[in-house]
Amino acid sequence: MSTQTSGIKSYKLTPSEKPEHKLLQIKNLQTHLQAGKRVVKAVDDVSFSINKGETFCLVGESGSGKSILALSVIQLLPARISSHPSGVVLFDWRKQENVGQVSIPTYKQVDMLTLEEDDLCDIRGSRIAMIFQEPMTSLNPVYSVGEQIMEALLLHNNGMSEEIAKQRALKAMQEVQIKDAETRFNNYPHEMSGGQRQRIMIAMALACEPDLLIADEPTTALDVTVQAEVLKLIRALQQRKGMSVLFITHDFGVVAQIADKVGVMKQGKLVEVGDAKNVLRNPQHEYSQKLLAAVPENLPRRKKEEQKSPNEALVKVKNLDVFFPIRKGVLQRVVDHVRAVDDVTIDINKGKIVALVGESGSGKTTLGRAILQLQKPTAGSVSIHGHELVGLSTKQLKPWRQKMQIAFQDPQSSLNPRLLVAKTLTEPMKIHGIGSNDDERIELAGEVLEAVQLQRDFMWRYPHEFSGGQRQRIGLARALALNPEFIVCDEITSALDVSVQAEVLQLLLEIRDQRDLTLLFITHNISVVEYLCDETIVMKSGKVVEQGLTEDVCGNPQNPYTQKLIEAVPRLNL
Amino acid sequence: MSNATQNRPSDAAQSSGFMTRILRRTFSEAGAKIGLFWVSVLVIMAVFAPFLANTVPLLASENGAVSAPFLRYFTVEDVIFLSVFVIVIVIWLSPLSRTFSRATTSFIILTTIATVLANTFVKPPQLIIYDDFRTQQAQGKYDWSINAPVAFSARDYMRDVSEAPLQEPLAKSQFKHVMGTEENGADVFSRMIHASRVALSIGFIATGIALVIGVILGGLMGYFSGIVDMLGMRLVEIFESVPTLFLLLTFVAFFGRNIYLIMVIIGLTSWSGYARYARAEFLKLRKQDYVQAAIASGLPLRSILFRHMLPNGVAPLLVSVSFGVASAILAEATLSFLGLGPVDAPSWGQMLNQSIRASTFNWWMAVFPGGAIFMTVFAYNLIGEALRDALDPKSAKGDD
Repeated sequence: MSTQTSGIKSYKLTPSEKPEHKLLQIKNLQTHLQAGKRVVKAVDDVSFSINKGETFCLVGESGSGKSILALSVIQLLPARISSHPSGVVLFDWRKQENVGQVSIPTYKQVDMLTLEEDDLCDIRGSRIAMIFQEPMTSLNPVYSVGEQIMEALLLHNNGMSEEIAKQRALKAMQEVQIKDAETRFNNYPHEMSGGQRQRIMIAMALACEPDLLIADEPTTALDVTVQAEVLKLIRALQQRKGMSVLFITHDFGVVAQIADKVGVMKQGKLVEVGDAKNVLRNPQHEYSQKLLAAVPENLPRRKKEEQKSPNEALVKVKNLDVFFPIRKGVLQRVVDHVRAVDDVTIDINKGKIVALVGESGSGKTTLGRAILQLQKPTAGSVSIHGHELVGLSTKQLKPWRQKMQIAFQDPQSSLNPRLLVAKTLTEPMKIHGIGSNDDERIELAGEVLEAVQLQRDFMWRYPHEFSGGQRQRIGLARALALNPEFIVCDEITSALDVSVQAEVLQLLLEIRDQRDLTLLFITHNISVVEYLCDETIVMKSGKVVEQGLTEDVCGNPQNPYTQKLIEAVPRLNL
Repeated sequence: MSNATQNRPSDAAQSSGFMTRILRRTFSEAGAKIGLFWVSVLVIMAVFAPFLANTVPLLASENGAVSAPFLRYFTVEDVIFLSVFVIVIVIWLSPLSRTFSRATTSFIILTTIATVLANTFVKPPQLIIYDDFRTQQAQGKYDWSINAPVAFSARDYMRDVSEAPLQEPLAKSQFKHVMGTEENGADVFSRMIHASRVALSIGFIATGIALVIGVILGGLMGYFSGIVDMLGMRLVEIFESVPTLFLLLTFVAFFGRNIYLIMVIIGLTSWSGYARYARAEFLKLRKQDYVQAAIASGLPLRSILFRHMLPNGVAPLLVSVSFGVASAILAEATLSFLGLGPVDAPSWGQMLNQSIRASTFNWWMAVFPGGAIFMTVFAYNLIGEALRDALDPKSAKGDD
């Protein structure tokens, strides 16, 4: 094993640098990506280092190059489209060498960028492990989870017997707190929840006891309570094993929870590096300051207005049920129901922003759609201004459609790609007789666009010409075009970067005040709720578990589930 | 979209729609360019057939009076093909082409008018004696005359010229036949040109009928789902189990060899594939946010189905359309080869049939029509393949 490999180079280090503490050193790294004929400088002259046992958080908005940086370190970018014009990635490679009967670790500093593929394969998985964002797709669906962990072990440990590998795999599963590891060993990925799958991914990554763990947004797809558990787990495992972590995230709350050091990235450049506490409390760079100021907890609080009018319910929901039948057998008989919304009774007061909070699968989106009659309720009643909506025909509903609108989460799919923005905005107006002719409606559409802080001539473009934040504004403009009284906002800021989210939130408040709107704001983000909403409704498994003023629900939760939820929110204040 | 489009400032004109981008991307591929080239050649041959292959002189001067004798012999079919071509060009250049629905409606209306007018007013002489023109020219009756590039009509069987039929290409004889003659003595090249009409129209009409039925039924199935979907899918399965070729044979046996009947039958039996595609697309689109938003805005069902869903779901259908056109052409060729195609009208399949007649292998009767069928089917498949690549988001190039 001691043969010299050609890709390994030795570097002279200045005495001030202590190589024994620096596990990973990145110096002047550039990564260029080839996109058609253009060259994108995805990573541009980045230098930092990670010490042993340290957690380094890379923060930045989407497209800032943080994932590309991670992939450059582990050399997983396709060589066809990527190149490194400059830079070195020095990794302290620990190898077990057999001297007689005992194996002792030897350390060798290698440059990941010039290392040969065989050596890279040795390092990947065993010395540097990576976990990805999407737990649904990062596990192979045709093997059981235990086999997948075993495979990683057998691959990186020559001569390990299957028996030992299985023992190690079971131990790894216990370490990530999978209950009943013996039986879970034979489960397939689809039989596990998202959080459990992410734990399996972590178990697989940690089974070979790597020195560096790269975690690329590992908790972004998870619910907040699960996220809290996974973060706690990573933290605990890291301390126990003395491993270093390169943690990529866009969430400053998560940074505050886990980071020792923070690097802020913007357009491929590392604009600020430093101690986590210092950066979060006292950011030096303009961009870091802007990002931190945009976090909902740091947004300037508006003054609480005095009650203008007594609470008057605009929308009343009574004993609403939405069930989806589960069919089985040859005859497709209904054997049971999924109770997406289960006996929900709520009042939405006029002029208020009401938050509907809950984890994924709690039925909040279904409830929002059932209120708008986009989803036919199984039973119960929904009324607006005292007029019953359930059971009305399409024709009878039409006048009420104008008063209730919806805005969606996904900026990609919320606008018809074939229609000009102008058409998207004016068509509903025409149907509802707003504006007497096309010119007048175009004028109105221009006003609505200005209300959401977009330019008038944007209406002569197609949706694909806009950024995510702009599309969300157009989605809002479409909802506003009919001059509704009530809008359901279904996770409208979830897909947005934090600075764009802050703009949209402020915009929502302005529009609400100008137009006297009532909003039902569906979200899973508690910090947004605290910033924006007057009242809060918490849902769990189709049922409302707690409702009331936001200060009461978030400040002093009564229900155990709400308490758990609020506690799990990663807070920025240290 | 009327006013909205007209008020559009000119500086935003370069902003292009989804379909334009897809088509641009499709036809930037070499394969699709070859396919498009061949289809254009077919279109030009079909539209200008009487100009390209005609025994009757295009222009002739008789005692100083210049006339175009071939115009007198224009058939109804000639006129319809020409007017459809002109209508398409006019719509393309006019502002009508800005919206797809307007373009389609005006095309259908204008084509219907042209067809009715052609059927009422175009009355070519029942009997054409092609030999007269040849003798007249030979006797020097015209001062001068301009003939078509191929100086034989498709049905000019050369009865006066007592030459043996089924001559090889460029055989030593009185006339020069570039691709030889067929069993009745007519020029093969001329018949090839005229046969492109059958190939084109069968492809477009049969697929058009299938597409309209398939999209409407499939769209309704996908949008309403539930019981409508269940019944619709059973109907689809029933039609999928009908053997098209045997049905065609039966119909031809009972109702005679009518090319239009064949088109309609192919159309009526091949819609099930399009219905499945449309259903799948509409099922998917129904859950899209912009469709939900359209429903939430109280838009009428017509607008939701045809403005918000259909244009977004039609692109994958186009891929299967291009393959459908190819298979319709093959079906007609098969039928004609079996001797059940149109009687007198030239068709590639029918010519192919003659290659094995008379106990000898007449290679030119196999190579030219067979090559044309191959090229046409290949061209549509190339276009379909390129369309599929252009629509596949995974293979999308970042060139826009």
